[in-house]
Amino acid sequence: MELQLQDLRKQYGEKCAVNNVNANLVPGVYGLLGANGAGKTTLMRMICGVLKPTSGSIRLNGKTIGQLGERYYTRLGYMPQYFGFYPDFTAREFMLYMAAVKGLDKKKAKNRTEDLLQMVNLADVADKKIKSYSGGMKQRLGIAQAELNNPSILILDEPTAGLDPKERVRFRNLISNFAKEKIVILSTHIVSDVSYIADTILMMKQGSFLLQEGMDTVTDSIRGKVWELLVDERTAAKYSRDFSVVNLHHENNMVRLRIIEESAPREDAQSVEPSLEDLFLYYFGEETKRQEER
Amino acid sequence: MLVKYEFLKILRKKSTLIVMAVSLILTGFLFGLPVMQYQIYNQDGVIKGAEGIAWEKEQSAELSVPLSEEYVAETIREVQGLFENPDNVGYDGNEKFLIGDAYWNKVAQREKLLNLIANTYSKPNEILGYNNLPDLDIKDGASFYQAMEAKIQTLLGDSSRALSQEQKEYWGSMAGRVNTPLQYGYYGGWEVIISSFELLMFSLLAICIVVAPVFSGEYQSGTDAVILSAKYGKTKLATAKITASLLFGTAAFILHIAVACIGPLAAFGADGWNLPLQIANTVIPYPFTFLQAVLINIGIVYLVLVAMIGLTLLLSAKVKSPYLVLIILVPVLFIPMFLTPNGTTGAYNLTLFLLPYRSTMPEFGKYISYQFGGLVLDALTVRAIVYAFLIIIMLPLAKLGFKKHQVA
Repeated sequence: MELQLQDLRKQYGEKCAVNNVNANLVPGVYGLLGANGAGKTTLMRMICGVLKPTSGSIRLNGKTIGQLGERYYTRLGYMPQYFGFYPDFTAREFMLYMAAVKGLDKKKAKNRTEDLLQMVNLADVADKKIKSYSGGMKQRLGIAQAELNNPSILILDEPTAGLDPKERVRFRNLISNFAKEKIVILSTHIVSDVSYIADTILMMKQGSFLLQEGMDTVTDSIRGKVWELLVDERTAAKYSRDFSVVNLHHENNMVRLRIIEESAPREDAQSVEPSLEDLFLYYFGEETKRQEER
Repeated sequence: MLVKYEFLKILRKKSTLIVMAVSLILTGFLFGLPVMQYQIYNQDGVIKGAEGIAWEKEQSAELSVPLSEEYVAETIREVQGLFENPDNVGYDGNEKFLIGDAYWNKVAQREKLLNLIANTYSKPNEILGYNNLPDLDIKDGASFYQAMEAKIQTLLGDSSRALSQEQKEYWGSMAGRVNTPLQYGYYGGWEVIISSFELLMFSLLAICIVVAPVFSGEYQSGTDAVILSAKYGKTKLATAKITASLLFGTAAFILHIAVACIGPLAAFGADGWNLPLQIANTVIPYPFTFLQAVLINIGIVYLVLVAMIGLTLLLSAKVKSPYLVLIILVPVLFIPMFLTPNGTTGAYNLTLFLLPYRSTMPEFGKYISYQFGGLVLDALTVRAIVYAFLIIIMLPLAKLGFKKHQVA
């Protein structure tokens, strides 16, 4: 199975949300990383066939979505970022409804619904109305519906947004369980969400892919460029202005800085093993800072 | 299965229950008003509500007769006889009228019938009462049906109506199909229903309010992305949504019609269902009984409703919020309420009579017709055709609108 994104582009007036994206995706978990507004959601909507690209094509095993029609959607599971549900439905009714929209026969729909509700730990509250659910429960129901048709392409847009750390871990494990032999595209701007489960990282900035790398080699580009050093607070303030500081930790009266720089910022700086978060901040540090300020 | 869930989605909303409850109460109240406000006078004074209705029905029991030429002539003669006795006659400086026992014992209980007879002999746009009957010359018989036909011909020939020869022939031929002699009788319940049809506009709006979120509600809540990316999202689901909306609309319409009819028919009774419309007004050309007339107009109002559901769904598929749907829809339904026709011909009037509000009003006695070359069609037929056509156009467009919706 191969999902090809060819010269994919989406233009809104003057603004280019997705700009000539190319990728050949085979089964595996893809962590789609990017700051807010990088074009991740737009890209995912196009892959899901709910948003028409301005140009370019999406092909599954060589055939476009248009050519495949229902056959494409049969193989697709999608959990969007902002997902409304039907507050007056119970979780079980919602799952059965989605199963009907996905074309599952009655018996299969019932079995899959029960299995998935069990899997996402909602079986006990399956007959309660969704409006009584917490954010985490709704997210779990969201992924359960995406899995109903056992899709070979699973698209998850910011699935952990708004979840507490415990829920996030539970969610990651769920995704890992569902991911076997599938193309899973998991978009997030929370690096730790993908660092444990992704096989490949797709990093997106201003509508384009900055890099597409396997998880084991993704940090190679900054290997030897990540430094740690202990400085006083005054120096820390100066280094924060002059260098790309990705982490800052106060230790007694001193500050431990983690800096990404071509060469050691000071003689006593120690070269350390780069992490995915370093890479993310290296590319998006300024944008993330601006968003935090906003 | 999909239809069932879509129907449930509509039904489960609290707003659906509230809107439907309010609309049903309003419909029951509006159609019940004539019952509550009903009053009739007898020698002892005014009798109101159900008691008054019962009294009138009792008085009308003897009036269930065929209006033969002999019966009409005899009735006119009787009234003329009453006026010949000066003790029976009052005068208000303008016109003569019967007083005392002559009125209460001989006229009051059949005044409606006497007015009908008097008006059959009147000129167009002239309204007469029983006190004009003494002016009629019936030495050679009543010639009631001749007068009825002559009045219709005069109406059709009225230059202000600007009817073509084909239209005159159409109406003349239709009026000729009315069975005579007319069978008279009590028809109070049907009269109330026929004159109140436009009040169903509120129920039409209520049903449209309920179906407004069918597509746009998905866009607003963000569920559009999930359902449109599913196998049947762009195909069977849209059809299921439309079917569920129509099922809901039909069920709600039946409920409203039942509520609308139950008050008048329970209070006034269903008497008169098989009597001809002409006993309410002899110039009505449609050869229908009261029941047929009501059923035909209910059918047309239903077509208007389905077309309005079609328009609502089309808008719902195109705009992002149910509120926007209503902002467009409410004026379409209600602005025509404030537009008054200034005749029965001309593009303005003929268009007005086809708009949703006017289309709920049967206007049986107005001779509204549409001519296409040599083909003449009456308003009821044209309304049925226009709204059926709109349904055929709008429902597939609504489906297409949802299918083409872009999640952005």
